[in-house]
Amino acid sequence: MKGLANRRFSVYYFIILTSVVLIARVAYLQLVSLKYKEQAQRVILERQLDYPSRGLIFDRNGKTLVYNKPIYVIYATYRKIDPKMDTTLFCNLLGIDKSTFIHNLNKDWSNPQFHKSLPFVFLSKVNPDQFAVFKEHMYKFPGFTAVERNIRGYPHHHGGHVLGYLGEVDQAIIDKSDGVYIPGDYIGKTGLEIAYEKELSGIKGIHYILRDNLGRRIGPYENGKLDSMAIPGEDIKISIDLDLQAYADSLMMNKKGGLVAIEPSTGEILAMVSAPTYDPNLLILDENRNVGMTKLLRDTINRPLNNRAVTNRFPPGSIIKPIISLIALQKGVTWINRPMNCFGGFRLSATKKMGCHGHAPIHNVAEAIQHSCNTYYLQITKDFLDQYGSKYPGIGLDTLVSYFHDFGLGSKLGMDFSYEGQGFIPDSKYYDRVYKREKSGWKSMWVLSIGIGQGEMQLTTVQMANLAATIANRGYYITPHFIKQYISGKHIPDQYTQKHKMRIDSKYFSPVIDGMEAVVLAGTARIAYVPGLDICGKTGTSQNPHGDDHSVFFGFAPKNNPKIAVAVFIENAGWGGDWAAPISSLLIEKYLNKSISPTRKYLEEKMMKGLLNVTSEKIVPHSAQKQDSVQLTQ
Amino acid sequence: MSATKIYYNLKGDRSIWLIVMLLSLFSLLIVYSTSGSQVYKYNTSHGTEYYLIRQLLFIGTGLLLTYTAYRLHYMVYAKLAPILMIIAVPLLIYTAFFGTELNDASRWIRIPFLDLSFQTSDFARIALILFIARSLAMKQEYIKSFKEAFVPLILPVAGICALIAPSNLSTSLLLFVTAFTMIFIGRISLKYVFLLLVLGILIFAAIYYGGQYFPEHFRAEVWAKRIHEFWYSDGQYQIVQSKIAVAEGGWFGLGPGNSIQRNLLPYAYADFIYAIICEEYGFFGGMVILGLYLWLLIRTVGLVTRCSKTFGAMLALGLTLNIVITAFANIAVSVQLVPATGLTLPMISMGGTSFLFTCISLGIILSVSRYVEQAYEEKKQLENLEANAESNH
Repeated sequence: MKGLANRRFSVYYFIILTSVVLIARVAYLQLVSLKYKEQAQRVILERQLDYPSRGLIFDRNGKTLVYNKPIYVIYATYRKIDPKMDTTLFCNLLGIDKSTFIHNLNKDWSNPQFHKSLPFVFLSKVNPDQFAVFKEHMYKFPGFTAVERNIRGYPHHHGGHVLGYLGEVDQAIIDKSDGVYIPGDYIGKTGLEIAYEKELSGIKGIHYILRDNLGRRIGPYENGKLDSMAIPGEDIKISIDLDLQAYADSLMMNKKGGLVAIEPSTGEILAMVSAPTYDPNLLILDENRNVGMTKLLRDTINRPLNNRAVTNRFPPGSIIKPIISLIALQKGVTWINRPMNCFGGFRLSATKKMGCHGHAPIHNVAEAIQHSCNTYYLQITKDFLDQYGSKYPGIGLDTLVSYFHDFGLGSKLGMDFSYEGQGFIPDSKYYDRVYKREKSGWKSMWVLSIGIGQGEMQLTTVQMANLAATIANRGYYITPHFIKQYISGKHIPDQYTQKHKMRIDSKYFSPVIDGMEAVVLAGTARIAYVPGLDICGKTGTSQNPHGDDHSVFFGFAPKNNPKIAVAVFIENAGWGGDWAAPISSLLIEKYLNKSISPTRKYLEEKMMKGLLNVTSEKIVPHSAQKQDSVQLTQ
Repeated sequence: MSATKIYYNLKGDRSIWLIVMLLSLFSLLIVYSTSGSQVYKYNTSHGTEYYLIRQLLFIGTGLLLTYTAYRLHYMVYAKLAPILMIIAVPLLIYTAFFGTELNDASRWIRIPFLDLSFQTSDFARIALILFIARSLAMKQEYIKSFKEAFVPLILPVAGICALIAPSNLSTSLLLFVTAFTMIFIGRISLKYVFLLLVLGILIFAAIYYGGQYFPEHFRAEVWAKRIHEFWYSDGQYQIVQSKIAVAEGGWFGLGPGNSIQRNLLPYAYADFIYAIICEEYGFFGGMVILGLYLWLLIRTVGLVTRCSKTFGAMLALGLTLNIVITAFANIAVSVQLVPATGLTLPMISMGGTSFLFTCISLGIILSVSRYVEQAYEEKKQLENLEANAESNH
């Protein structure tokens, strides 16, 4: 057994040897070597961030929409401040009072966030003019340093909703960002600033700097091996035409509503207004930011921060009629030359009648669109829903809904924009739920209002404009988008060049477009007629149970080879022909002719002056809301 | 049962009891000292007292576990060993595939209802040591055939180590060293000892190099990076900070609660707690801690020589070796003698399941010591009786 005892002892010896090595190493580090004692003198490793400049934004013609301008952050290092400094001069130069000075300087020193030897933010958002004066005197105030940060600037006053604004990043985003954002960073909050945050923001540079225990700078850490340069954000060119945007802003003055103009062949958005709009300069992150933000947030009647062009949804009214025509023609439910006598309305039941306008009998689909004949559309909608038998309106409805989905309705279009709305398209499941008490199920007669764009159906303004673009293209659309070009040459995503084709034969488009042309030539939108521009369009008056009807128009021009498609939605403005149609025609005229003809100047003036929104919503008597089936839609 | 009564009834090695108490006391002091940086790091609403009370609760629970393990006769553990092994294997497999990821390694599973993460390798560690001690005791005298050596000894060691290694290489290595030492001492033919050694090297090499092809399942990148940093640089940030902490301590340290490096050193309350001990209590403090572990080893060795049963001897030795080797490895990391690993300092690092399992280990060692003492006294009495009988004769 002697050999086995030896084994045991060899283990003990090994352990004793190990502990001797450990003790020797600890003793060497702790008692002999000076290397780490010296390092202990400069334990402070400072991580200095270089902020990249944020990407610039240009309009489609290369005009600057958004640039960067400097603002200054003043840092203080408590221990370096001269206790005898001239505080009165200091406060006057920076425009602060004594209490702010005392409050900003005396931090909670028990909090490890702050250290008397390390700089902390004393004052943020000092504007360049003030800083220039302060800088001259800065030598008198040791312990104070300044760092330049960039905020956004705008050389114009337009497109607030399109461009969006910046704000300080939220804690939730910081936690999720894996170190990309730190508290106090600026991040896009709305509009293109948030949609292109990743591209615009760039990448921060990092410098590690060693400081000694008194906060003195020793040099870069590990000779700068770990340091990195800031990579500036990417500059982008967007599809907005600044001149057109400015003109659209002025047309939409004093109104509530949305306006979207698209170039049909590319899907590029030329102008987008959510009215009432705001000047982007109001929300610049300078010392006046709070004033501007409060002003916009306080306006709870007009809610100027809502995006009525992209997010909010509205009933489309009669502008859905051309789309219904196309789908019904394709499914063979109706035919191009189907005649119909209106008799002044469509009989829903023995006592209820959906009214129509006084017009001549209809001979074909073009005339139905021209006169916006309710009877015609209620009839073909009924035919459509009952095409699989009147017991199964659900199957007919879902067929219709599947075509609506093709047109980009009822779901997000997939724009490169924040907070895009979906709109709402009711399907058979929806009505099953609404009418679940009815034992024999619901009937097509109960939901016919879909055919004239009323009832539950709701669209966003951009979806309406996209419908106009789809008709202008005779059967396809490209997802509406803002990105036109990355200045770096990077390709724009494929989704903004792909065509979404409709399942509708191209031969059905010409009668519908003829009808839309007739609307402007001899129908409900004669006021939108501009000689030589061949505007095609359709008005809508969408009923609103809370107040006056909404005025809607969508259209495109010229008829052949269209250059612009427009949708305009004005809340509580009455008939489509009163406001939305003339505004659209002025926008089209401005874009195609670059100027407004003298004969139409009166119209331009009237539209710009039109005071519509500023009053609160009308309170409608309860009984008036009930009379839903006898109103007109145009 | 009053405390004094417990004290008088407390049998077993008094020195080991004292070591347990002293280590617990140190643990409380250091963990409380480092808790400030944790409060700041996790931005918690509760103050530093939370960590003090938490650690007190852990120590209380741990001592209770020690006492319970000590109250059981150690031969009970021989019966428990195969059952624990059967539980350990599926637990390890479950952890490897469905475990919680903490600090980028899948080593933990959540215990439902209690807000605790449970490191399954700690459980498997005790199970394996118990099992090997049992096998060595059962295969008394020479293990002659390959079959006798392979099934009860080599297979469990290789299997458990291979299961732990992908997520926790250092624990697996230390466990392998412990098991290997037990088998080396345990009267097994050298042939099989070398077989185990070769097999072990093959397994670790396979996992290390194989891991580079399956980086999502193994931490090969981390291992390679740490080994590279160990050889070719002054160490990564935390190692440099740790060495600074040791250097700051000098002979007598900065005093309890005066550490500066705790604010700069990540995991100052767990992996790098020894550096903070050196900083606050100096060279002497560091030596006291190291001495306590060595003392534990010396007491166990004394125990082992007196123990008549192979199972008890092997059990106590195996558990002690594991504690001491882990402690040495942790200290070695703090002073950059080995590459950085995620090992805690047994009985001192902030509470967690590894703390509780160390307490159980110590309880088992104490249980062995109790019966060794009892047997020794009986033997003495017997000798006295015999001597009396002879003189009377």
